[in-house]
Amino acid sequence: MKTFEIGVLLIILLCLPFSVAFAARIEISAPGEQTIPLAMTRLLPMGVGAAQPAIATEFQQVLLGDLDLSGLFDMVDPAAFLGDADKLGLRRNDIDFNQWRMLGSEALIKGGYRVTAGRVTIELRLFDVITQRLLTGRRYVGKLTDVRKIAHTFADQILKSLTGEKGPFASKIAYISKRTGYKELYLMDVDGYHPIQMTNHRSIVLNPDFSPTRKELIFTSYSKGNPDLFRKEIYTGRESRLSLKPGLNIGGRYSPDGREIALTLSKDKNSEIYLLGTDGTIHRRLTNHYSIDVDPSWSPKGNKIAFVSDRRGNPNIFIVDIHSLDVTRLTFEGKYNATPAWSPKGDKIAFSRMDNGVFNVFTIREDGTDERQLTFGKGSKEHPRWSPDGRFLIYSNDLGGEKSIWIMRADGTGGRKISARGGNDSHPAWSDRW
Amino acid sequence: MPKLTITRLLVMLCVLTLLASGCAKKPVVEQPVAAPESTQVEMTQQQPAAVTEQAVTDTATNAYDAAAAARAAERAASKGLARIHFDFDQYILTPAAKSILVSNAGLLRAAPAVKVLIEGHCDERGSDEYNLALGEKRALAAKNYLVSLGVAADRMSVISYGEEMPIDPAHTKEAWAKNRRANFKVKR
Repeated sequence: MKTFEIGVLLIILLCLPFSVAFAARIEISAPGEQTIPLAMTRLLPMGVGAAQPAIATEFQQVLLGDLDLSGLFDMVDPAAFLGDADKLGLRRNDIDFNQWRMLGSEALIKGGYRVTAGRVTIELRLFDVITQRLLTGRRYVGKLTDVRKIAHTFADQILKSLTGEKGPFASKIAYISKRTGYKELYLMDVDGYHPIQMTNHRSIVLNPDFSPTRKELIFTSYSKGNPDLFRKEIYTGRESRLSLKPGLNIGGRYSPDGREIALTLSKDKNSEIYLLGTDGTIHRRLTNHYSIDVDPSWSPKGNKIAFVSDRRGNPNIFIVDIHSLDVTRLTFEGKYNATPAWSPKGDKIAFSRMDNGVFNVFTIREDGTDERQLTFGKGSKEHPRWSPDGRFLIYSNDLGGEKSIWIMRADGTGGRKISARGGNDSHPAWSDRW
Repeated sequence: MPKLTITRLLVMLCVLTLLASGCAKKPVVEQPVAAPESTQVEMTQQQPAAVTEQAVTDTATNAYDAAAAARAAERAASKGLARIHFDFDQYILTPAAKSILVSNAGLLRAAPAVKVLIEGHCDERGSDEYNLALGEKRALAAKNYLVSLGVAADRMSVISYGEEMPIDPAHTKEAWAKNRRANFKVKR
């Protein structure tokens, strides 16, 4: 678990006059709508320590990856950079803003690094080129292996400075991989790096979900001969069975406040949606129908749950009010709609629809309007889950014969594979801010 | 003297051989007492009914042993219980599935000591959780039909593996048809 020790200490908020000018001038409500011309210089060595260009290269690669995925930026070509790019000056007065303005850049990232006694210090600045103001300044200190994490953390900060809402790049993805020959639970970074095997059940592990309040995961495992719901503390590795009713104990999802878990049980010989307490006791049964009811997903307010049911024939998405138990039908198009995921922003529900044997990801509003297809083409795309800021979706895609984890923007653009080959990776879940 | 010694030796040898054979015979007299006792104990422990000699002579070779007959029925069940198949997204039993279940029920009724685990499976199409529920419905449909055919419900348990354990991993119609199934596993 050492990798999870947060070796990165966000030490000093270097500059307080956090500017809202940028957010006011460039309104960004959704990715891809408008892009900011951004220049990002290479990290330069600070002080007396020997230069370690590998640090600058790794940092740049990770940060560029995040900024590209965000879809918010139009990167200025580094080949066009003028003299100021090679100067370490990080203070406002040291920077020749006119050079950057000439290149058409509206925002500028400058930074430096220093290595002392095996620890790396990285100082970063984001400037508004037009107003010549510092938007955010950060100093990070960590181990040499923390460079990626520092880059992700700064990417989150850049999004916060420019849009008012932090990015999700420093969070974690849980997923199921068959790398060892058995389906086991894994964790990785949002860009697919640092995969870590979390279970060794040598059985079938399925469908993880993060606790919103603790560093904890729930998932289903057949390791005791029945599909039981397990809970696992991420840092201690402590694991216990939370629900072991006869039959299915599957699709567990924490409520937004972390106090209850919605899941499917079939203890009465038919799959129904229930609410459990975090001690595993049944609080409430939400559905009562002889058809299949599976795949619960909470609304961010915690008062409604979207789920899949074939009560009208084919599998479709329905919504149940957890207080009145009123059930309304959400999807009417297509013959097979499954795996709903309610956006943390509340406005949309993502789901996958199968057509001619191939799943694609769609979104729809809670009232059933504005249905949009986000993915197209070959490969079955299933199990969409939202990033904590609602900007991105993660899903599995079997393009090329084996399943892998992909990520895209909430409007369906920018899709890319993040998990490595050979894992048959599926069932992704996105952590809250880590 | 030497001659005499030889004759004496010969005589002694004869006597010894006789004695030896006599000695060897003596336990034979006692053995029959011990041996039947022990077999009888064994038999009563195993299956008291099987002691009757009539069964041995009257009927086929191994049928005298009811335990062996039960074992044979068990073997027949564990080998003979055939899997059934389903249509896409369905758990309704097809006529073909029903006739297989009739034969499975016969095997299970003949082996009343056998307990069976019914596994429900799906093809890879469809969502994983939905298929876990569908696989369970398939296993339960098979179980309920077997109950209607006289197999005690408490002899059967069900588990669904959804689409997790395909027989044929290919992405073809033929593979999907094979994978949409319920299996019967004899539990020890």
